[in-house]
Amino acid sequence: MSGFRLTRAYHFSAGHRLASAALSEAENERVYGQCYRPHGHNYVVEVTLAGMAADLGALDAAVRRVLLERVDHYDLSGAVPALEGVITTGENLARTFWDWLAGALPPGSLERVAVIETANNSFEYRGETSRSPR
Amino acid sequence: MTPSMSPGPIYVTRKFTFSAAHHYWQPRWSAEENARAFGSLTVTHGHNYVLEVTLVGPVDPITGMVMDLAELKRVVGDSVIQRFDHADLNADPLFAGGQIPTTENLVRGLWDLLVPKLGGDRLHRLRLWEDPTFHVEYLGP
Repeated sequence: MSGFRLTRAYHFSAGHRLASAALSEAENERVYGQCYRPHGHNYVVEVTLAGMAADLGALDAAVRRVLLERVDHYDLSGAVPALEGVITTGENLARTFWDWLAGALPPGSLERVAVIETANNSFEYRGETSRSPR
Repeated sequence: MTPSMSPGPIYVTRKFTFSAAHHYWQPRWSAEENARAFGSLTVTHGHNYVLEVTLVGPVDPITGMVMDLAELKRVVGDSVIQRFDHADLNADPLFAGGQIPTTENLVRGLWDLLVPKLGGDRLHRLRLWEDPTFHVEYLGP
């Protein structure tokens, strides 16, 4: 990876709970613990683009349209049709937001999406389809 | 039915904190040489360390997680936090051979403690902050 990379941070606040339809109530409680209870976060999403020619205004508009307007001040686990069936872990949100954003940004420009759930937890997707060896 | 999502690995980072004392002293050197090389670091002092543990791996389709973060907290708590929080690093067996407890040496020691518990494929990076102005990253040997 070489050259410039540009990262912009966005904020939204949303409710969610972690629950898998594949698991029983007792299993969900065991697997997800406190996260099985409805709660919420002040999320930060970092969007990283390749190159220095990025149009920040266009990026902001795209992120607002395909991401922030869909999730800000909604319950991610029930009130967002585009997240229907998604267990809203940070891992799944990072991949889903990637898919939403990749379709709205210039092809090949998206390098990385990071979902920062709390000051202590973050989840990154770099568009890899498999793990490259270290 | 779970909607399809981009496949591939996710990088998960969790932050931990511990406070520990240390000092720098190279026993092979004279007091003057230690003072010249390490200055005020020859005196025992302490830091609020922040350790960022980054795992990489596929997302379990049932749970939606790379690893249960409560389990990660237990592993890092048992292997690192209990051992080093409010401890003197120079007195730890990790530095019994006289290695100086620099951030570099500490992060490598922490890697060696965590890699058997978390797996070399899954442990991607450790980032150790000595204070908010200085950190060292280790991606493994």
